Amino acid sequence: MSSSIKEFQSKEKPEGYYKKLVNGLSEVNKQLGAFLNINETIKDGFPFSVKDNLCVRDVETKAGSEILSGYIPPFNATCVERLSSSKFSFLGKTSMDEFGFGSFGLNTMCVAKNPFNTAYVAGGSSSGAAVATSILKYHVALAESTGGSISNPAAFCGVVGFTPTYGAISRYGLVDYANSLDKIGIMARSSEDIRTVFDIVKGPDSYDSTCVGIKFTNVNNKKIFLIKQLLDATDEKVRSEFDKLVSKIREMGYSVEEKSLEFIEKAIPAYYIISMAEASTNLAKYNGYKYGFKNENFSEEYNRFFTESRSKFGVEAKRRVVLGTFVRSASVKEKYYRKALKVRSLLIREIGKLLKNGFILTPTMPITTPKIEKAVSLTPVEAYRMDILTIPPSICGFPHVSFPYSYPNGMPLGAQIISDHFNDYALLDFVKSWETSFRYKFKYNIGDIR
Amino acid sequence: MDANEFDRLLKVCRISLNHDEKDRIINDIEEIIKYFNTLNEFETGNTSESYHAIRIPERLRQDKVEAFQNTNGILKNTKTYRFYVVGPKI
Repeated sequence: MSSSIKEFQSKEKPEGYYKKLVNGLSEVNKQLGAFLNINETIKDGFPFSVKDNLCVRDVETKAGSEILSGYIPPFNATCVERLSSSKFSFLGKTSMDEFGFGSFGLNTMCVAKNPFNTAYVAGGSSSGAAVATSILKYHVALAESTGGSISNPAAFCGVVGFTPTYGAISRYGLVDYANSLDKIGIMARSSEDIRTVFDIVKGPDSYDSTCVGIKFTNVNNKKIFLIKQLLDATDEKVRSEFDKLVSKIREMGYSVEEKSLEFIEKAIPAYYIISMAEASTNLAKYNGYKYGFKNENFSEEYNRFFTESRSKFGVEAKRRVVLGTFVRSASVKEKYYRKALKVRSLLIREIGKLLKNGFILTPTMPITTPKIEKAVSLTPVEAYRMDILTIPPSICGFPHVSFPYSYPNGMPLGAQIISDHFNDYALLDFVKSWETSFRYKFKYNIGDIR
Repeated sequence: MDANEFDRLLKVCRISLNHDEKDRIINDIEEIIKYFNTLNEFETGNTSESYHAIRIPERLRQDKVEAFQNTNGILKNTKTYRFYVVGPKI
């Protein structure tokens, strides 16, 4: 699959191209809810969308939450600034689960729907970014992942989703969910487009001390590991399609070996403990007189003022603040928070040993795309368990890419390839070689130039 | 977690819940904590804790004042009085 960025730049745009693009997008967006706002003044450049938790100067940034309604950042996130300075143009903000708290894009005021069938979820939390990528012919999306928020919707919407190594892209200008886990990433229709954008946005930033300037490697040992416990966690339908993919990967010249990592399932509770602990402190800044929602009852006693303001959080945000505060309590901190940090160390060590010798390949999600009504009925623990395949690389900060590989019953399925820290380009090369023999399908091509 | 402990936690978090939310969240939290407890079935021994997934080099900024040009842009997001941010009583 070739680069749509190069193709776009080489084509002459017909008169009124951007106006038609905005009109066409606005029409489809009424049904799919991918964009929260569309930049009607766009007049040149390659269009890019921005997940609603990344700041864009003078554009409302809510991170999917009512508590941030009306917040207008006076600055651009570093990734937005770098892209805007490189012949890319901001097209609009995309919908998401509140603060990134969700796997199906449903914990928000604006629910994005799957472009292949609107009865199905788009995934989460970068739901709008995935839908936007699936419906626009020439476009890339800046998204963000904490525990799988790029891979998951990319798989459900049939696009390529790249989550780089933790610290590869500056988080400056991101509305934090969990600082030690948040990673800004990219969605596109091809690995080539992702590479182009990654080259522009990556690299050190004086505004983010965790954004490190380590040299990237590009090592491919032509070896793929499958993890028994992760395959056992997938449903039969996904497993049978995934087995066909593994056969094709063998034909591409890779040797495939199954390994057992007994404790890999512990990544889920460890991830949720760490992420909720960090989220509960990050969300403390929304106090009703800075950022977004304003509580005008200044005569109110401070704690009451603060509590009243925080009623604007959605149910999942409240649940995570309560649990995050609980796991950090002095009496149980050792049992939950510090234990989770130790499990993270072991996961990095054990998964890292495999990644020194090859890639890990898994389905991206353990289930086929669920209908919205089914996803709504899941209990929190049932929903958290759905992240079994995306959490292990996420908690360890390993780079991973989700790419489409099959369309059973007309809905896309995604697989996820994982590599060692800072071996990001090897993953993009792997997906590029996959794209030479597999053509992705899209239902819409808004902005196509004939 | 009993009701008193839950109420104490809500107070610490400065979160208030209506009756329905409270019923729903307390049940969810019981189930989630039970799930979190499965972590303690696993022995981690003397393993050190990972606060980050990668090693973050110590890279501090120079201790020097830099002028931020867009102070009005920041204040635009607050209620102000004579260039001061208005907040609640403490």
